[in-house]
Amino acid sequence: MKRASDDYVIEMLHITKVFPGIKANDDITLQLRRGEIHALLGENGAGKSTLMSVLFGLYQPDGGEIRKDGRKVEINSPNDATALHIGMVHQHFKLIDVFTVLENIVLGAEDTKNGFLTTKAARKKVQELSERYGLLVDLDAKVENITVGMQQRVEILKMLYRDNEVLIFDEPTAVLTPQEIDELMKIMKGLAAEGKSILFITHKLNEIMAVSDRVSVLRKGRYIGTVDTANTTQQELSRMMVGRDVQLVVEKKPSVPGEIIMDVQELSVMSKLYHREAVNRVSFNVRQGEIVCIAGIDGNGQSELVYALTGLEKPSSGRILLQGQDITHLSIRERAKAGMSHIPEDRHKHGLVLDYTLEQNLVLQCYQDPQFQRMGLIRFDEVRAYADKLIEDFDIRSGQGPVTIARSMSGGNQQKAIIAREVDRDMPLIVAVQPTRGLDVGAIENVHAQLVKERDAGKAVLLVSLELEEVMNLSDRILVMYEGEIVGELDPKATTVEELGLYMAGAKRQNVRAEA
Amino acid sequence: MKKRFGLLSTDGGRTIVASLISIVIGMVIGALVVLIVGICTPTIGLKGALDGVRIILGGLFVLGERTEAGALAFGFNSVSMGNMLFRAMPLVMTGLSVAIAYRTGLFNIGAAGQYLMGTLASLFVALSIPSATVPAWIIWTLALLAGMLAGALWGAIPGLLKALLNINEVIACIMTNWLAANLVTWAFEVSNLKNVAEGTKTAYIYKTTFNNVATSKLGLDQLFPGSQVNGGILIAALFAVIVYIIITKTTFGYELKACGFNRYAARYAGIHDKRNIVLSMAIAGSLASLGGALYYLSGNTEFYWNTYQTLPGEGFNGIPVALLAANNPIAVIFTAMFMSMLSICGTRLSQLTAFNEYITNVIIAVIVYMSAFSLIIKMFLGRHARKDEPLVQAAVALTESLKPGKAPPDAAKASDPKPISLDKGGADQ
Repeated sequence: MKRASDDYVIEMLHITKVFPGIKANDDITLQLRRGEIHALLGENGAGKSTLMSVLFGLYQPDGGEIRKDGRKVEINSPNDATALHIGMVHQHFKLIDVFTVLENIVLGAEDTKNGFLTTKAARKKVQELSERYGLLVDLDAKVENITVGMQQRVEILKMLYRDNEVLIFDEPTAVLTPQEIDELMKIMKGLAAEGKSILFITHKLNEIMAVSDRVSVLRKGRYIGTVDTANTTQQELSRMMVGRDVQLVVEKKPSVPGEIIMDVQELSVMSKLYHREAVNRVSFNVRQGEIVCIAGIDGNGQSELVYALTGLEKPSSGRILLQGQDITHLSIRERAKAGMSHIPEDRHKHGLVLDYTLEQNLVLQCYQDPQFQRMGLIRFDEVRAYADKLIEDFDIRSGQGPVTIARSMSGGNQQKAIIAREVDRDMPLIVAVQPTRGLDVGAIENVHAQLVKERDAGKAVLLVSLELEEVMNLSDRILVMYEGEIVGELDPKATTVEELGLYMAGAKRQNVRAEA
Repeated sequence: MKKRFGLLSTDGGRTIVASLISIVIGMVIGALVVLIVGICTPTIGLKGALDGVRIILGGLFVLGERTEAGALAFGFNSVSMGNMLFRAMPLVMTGLSVAIAYRTGLFNIGAAGQYLMGTLASLFVALSIPSATVPAWIIWTLALLAGMLAGALWGAIPGLLKALLNINEVIACIMTNWLAANLVTWAFEVSNLKNVAEGTKTAYIYKTTFNNVATSKLGLDQLFPGSQVNGGILIAALFAVIVYIIITKTTFGYELKACGFNRYAARYAGIHDKRNIVLSMAIAGSLASLGGALYYLSGNTEFYWNTYQTLPGEGFNGIPVALLAANNPIAVIFTAMFMSMLSICGTRLSQLTAFNEYITNVIIAVIVYMSAFSLIIKMFLGRHARKDEPLVQAAVALTESLKPGKAPPDAAKASDPKPISLDKGGADQ
């Protein structure tokens, strides 16, 4: 037996996995040492999930082999993976809401006595595990009643309960708050110290720097390399991941604001749920050539404000002027025609018809233009030509070009498609709501560059964002929303993240609204 | 092998093969049921049971008589052929009705009620305007239009309830079905169109030929002498083509499908989702009611108007017709013909053997189950094709990506082998 078997608990050697139209994994080698935290880094669609699904037995590789403790193994199903003590925490938890924590943990590995369920031994074991690894959970609470952070701890306990020694975490921080992320990092370090080996899938560089021992980088299905975290930098990692230097800080010229494009006057919106003003007499304007950012903690009226601006909900009072025209009572389509582009917050629910093809999605706003229809009949050749142009101009990548089903595209490319569609309409106002949510650094850079480019072309951009870094980086003017009101207007060059945070938490406010 | 792979490599091909497989399984299970029932019934026995299986599998080529030796006679039968087309006509229409609603994300289980309302309106017009004063073809046209209008209004009711109050269209459709059943009974009860002349019959309406109104045969009676067939089947086929064009070629169809796939995204894009839901149901209603109008305007059909406790089977059979056709309007023509062939087989069974004709309902039931199952079959076919030939597919993809002007394939899960077809409809609703 080779000496390497002493070092590596899992070796995936020369793994190749082909799907129709795509080589998702192309000769990838990944070696996991015992007791290390090994990060797997790559953009959306780089093949991370496919590789982990191969390891977890969900897919069979078309080439290459997997070794466990130096011995070649066949993993044909998740059951095989479990038997080899490989466990996985999925990005979207696999828990049963109405079961208790304990029931969820033992599910599938229940002890029975005379055909009846016994939980006594299980309870003891789970309690021991939870104390040993500092995983605080309430065993008798129903999963639907506990926080997301605790749900994740339940998932981890599920793996530990099955005596797994290789733990796969698939983008575990995507759903957590900053405090919960810190907590998770501590837990992961504790697990590694106890001899567990951890594979950590992510595209967030700061988390990798904080917690991992080594990093393997994938790009477009290929293996790029493995580096020790101690000997690398975020800049180098992002270069490996994207294949070129990435601008982690947005580069932009000072803005040259022009005429007012959108003027919002004393706008109020009732919340459907709570029968109170979700947006309370908000006034602001957005001018040509500037990016105005609405910052705030989620749920302080930003969504309702956007709904009212784009026409999805009726405001209870106030006016919205777009280029001097009162659009307060216009329909969604009339507003779009009057000069508003809209990049919605939820690209799956609102931005795309996922079962439509890429080209059908690209004409979603303009299929009624004479260019694309004659007497109600769609001009398919024009649609195809237009889609090809946008795909080219905005570098939208997909398996089958214009006829790719949107659902099968990666998140970054889905977002590119939406941005292409909205930007190409060439409207004076762009409303972008969390345009980089869930995207990797390369895609974020692309979105930011696109928005700055539109600003420089004289467009007015209204950006709604929950990411402090994005707010500070991208905007020319910051409006902070707190409990439905604009509590401050800040200059990103003259303020600090700390000060912004105070406004967002409601601890500080300016008297921006002249009291009537 | 290569050819089979070619058929399975496209989505449409897999749909066709999956539907054919579900039909074959339905027929085989149906034949088994016929065999078992036959053997277990003393009056039928093994010989009768085998005859039953022959009739099921022989389909339209079973002649309605036996040879002198007592065996079944097979051959081309113009009456069966023509009647098959005639009975397929209303099924095409109700199938189209279900299919177009489904494309908008709605389940139109109200085709039966819409069919009845179409029957009511067209019969009233056809029998109330005397052909002595107005030319019969004008009455016929008016009757057809009246039927469609009645169905459109009837279909719009659940559409409006869904769009404005978000009431589930299935529940609203079930209620409008029974409202229609009772309304029709009441309307004819108080009318003077009742047929009391023909012997012992009660609760029948005059045939429309009573007023000289009847659908033109358009020469089809020459083709299939002795059968009931008339130009209605051509009208139904024409509508199938029209619906196909609406769904696939028009901006209106594009809007309808967008609403069906993802109502929220459609609304975001400025599409009036509520208006489209109402329109879709109204169109579905007018299609189903056209089926009723065409069937009873043929002049040789009798309408039993005491419908208050039964709904017409044509309405509900539109569902399996549409399902089996995977909601493709052109395919609906063929699946409707297949269903009507089965009902002809049922008649033959009761004529030539001691079987009850309702045994064919068993086959239809199995096929309905299988057509719901055809999605799973299709999924399996997709998997099979991919597993067999990953290298061929990769090669195709590679050559595709090397063509000039094309972006290289993203290393995304461009075609995840875990198909999502089953939750396609439900995921975004």
